[in-house]
Amino acid sequence: MSDTCSDTEATEHTALMDGHIAEARPDREIAERIARKRKTKSETQRNYGSVSASQSSRSSAVGRSGQNRRAASGEHQVEELELKYGARHVIKLFVPVTLCMIVVVATISSISFYSVKDVYLAYTPFHEETPYALTKVWNALANSMILLSVIALMTVLLIVLYKKRCYKVIHGWLILSSLMLLFLFSYLYIEEALRAYNIPMDYITLAFVMWNFGVMGMIVIHWKGPLRLQQAYLIFIAALMALVFIKYMPEWTTWAVLAVISVWDLIAVLTPKGPLRILVETAQERNESIFPALIYSSTVMYCLAATGTGEGSEDNGASGESAAERAGAGEGGSGAGGSGADGAGGGEAGFDAAWRARASEQAAPRRLRVDGTAPAHYVTRVERAHTHSDHEEKGVKLGLGDFIFYSVLVGKASSYGDWNTTLACFVAILIGLCLTLLLLAIFKKALPALPISITFGLIFYFATRYVVKPFADALAADQVFI
Amino acid sequence: MDLNRMSNTKKLQLCRWYFKVGFVLLPFVWAVNSIWFFREAFIKPPFDEQKQIKKYVIMSGAGALTWAIVLISWAVAFQLQRVSWGATGDALSFIVPLGRA
Repeated sequence: MSDTCSDTEATEHTALMDGHIAEARPDREIAERIARKRKTKSETQRNYGSVSASQSSRSSAVGRSGQNRRAASGEHQVEELELKYGARHVIKLFVPVTLCMIVVVATISSISFYSVKDVYLAYTPFHEETPYALTKVWNALANSMILLSVIALMTVLLIVLYKKRCYKVIHGWLILSSLMLLFLFSYLYIEEALRAYNIPMDYITLAFVMWNFGVMGMIVIHWKGPLRLQQAYLIFIAALMALVFIKYMPEWTTWAVLAVISVWDLIAVLTPKGPLRILVETAQERNESIFPALIYSSTVMYCLAATGTGEGSEDNGASGESAAERAGAGEGGSGAGGSGADGAGGGEAGFDAAWRARASEQAAPRRLRVDGTAPAHYVTRVERAHTHSDHEEKGVKLGLGDFIFYSVLVGKASSYGDWNTTLACFVAILIGLCLTLLLLAIFKKALPALPISITFGLIFYFATRYVVKPFADALAADQVFI
Repeated sequence: MDLNRMSNTKKLQLCRWYFKVGFVLLPFVWAVNSIWFFREAFIKPPFDEQKQIKKYVIMSGAGALTWAIVLISWAVAFQLQRVSWGATGDALSFIVPLGRA
């Protein structure tokens, strides 16, 4: 971890969750500063040709009135910058979310293992094996309540650990979960994929490949590595988790869980006593950042060095730092990013609100025989960077939990075989994501990323499956074209 | 990590660390190392530590290539000769294809 990174506590590679709320103001300041800089420039240009004698008085007069005008338009500028910036980042989030969903849908369609229900999680004791709808409904509700309580418990546990500064425990927990995901679940995935495609494989190659894949994943997620690789790994593990959820939960339970989790998300993030909000605020007070293993970041994060330098190198692992963020679409746009800050309309004013932190659920998608730790927390946040330079870039961060549940929804929809439904759900989720980001730009505070998207997704799913599909089928059967 | 935001000494340290880690049967790490630091080593204007980074990049690249050749030849050999190896082939197999030899 980063040497310069604050204190003794932050010895882990993973950064801890970061607050967000207070950061709202600094962003406006940055944006205003930038706006002011631009105005100043044009103002001096305006005064350039004026007569030198009265120049000082005139310029000061102009300056004063200019100030007022500037203040007013400064506000506009700030808003505009914020929205433009935000829009760019919406797009940056579309790609990874889409990729994750594609991986899940492709797997579900080609590898039947993930659609077959044989074993269930220990957390869902009611298996919906009766033919009666009512029994299924209460089974589903009971299962989702159990899962929710597990999640809530884990979240509270995480908060307690965090407040007591047991960073080592949290760090160990995270490492263990990523180890499990990267090795165990990937191994199972490869095994099923090979089996589905009937490809012979020997132990030697398999062991070698798994070893390389797993170790590289650990390095890149928890420590330092190329951004693209880290993003790819995070997308892959989110997809793996989603697949596990799809496989190991009974049918109706999956839908019930999605609905219940969205409500939980809303409560946990927005209510004053909500655990996630507490977590985020505590992190913010302590000026720490979030566990890198739980967030997908579109830009590179650096440690919020106590020294205040933009020294990224020593930081903790991947994304989660609330440090200088480099914009530039996350690809080394470094220098360009810095200079582009002023020039490009994008500006730094983007989103400053942090998003919501996801419950440390990850609960156990686990086999009955496997004994697992509940992986941690998925956080959705937007972070702000504090660099020593004036040009701050903001990247957008989305929690892995959101990736997972979006993919669960789309994957489940695709498991019924109908592409219309799958596409409808996909579009619904993206629309929800846009709306959430828009709200984020408006409210500038932590927002849960799940509720809107999942609600739209569920509505679209049920509507398409039960209304649109039969309608489209009937039309096609009778060769009526609308 | 954004390499552009790191100091040259840190870059060298990172490159060296990746190189050392690759010795534990991790050619993937070597491959990532050589690709990631390629620009730093060859395309950027010279800076102090560039010579060493170049050295590590070349060595990592060479190592990754060697391992790749070894792995590919082993994989090809296994796929082609699995059946003719009889019992050994089966013992080595993690997945035995169904419906064919």
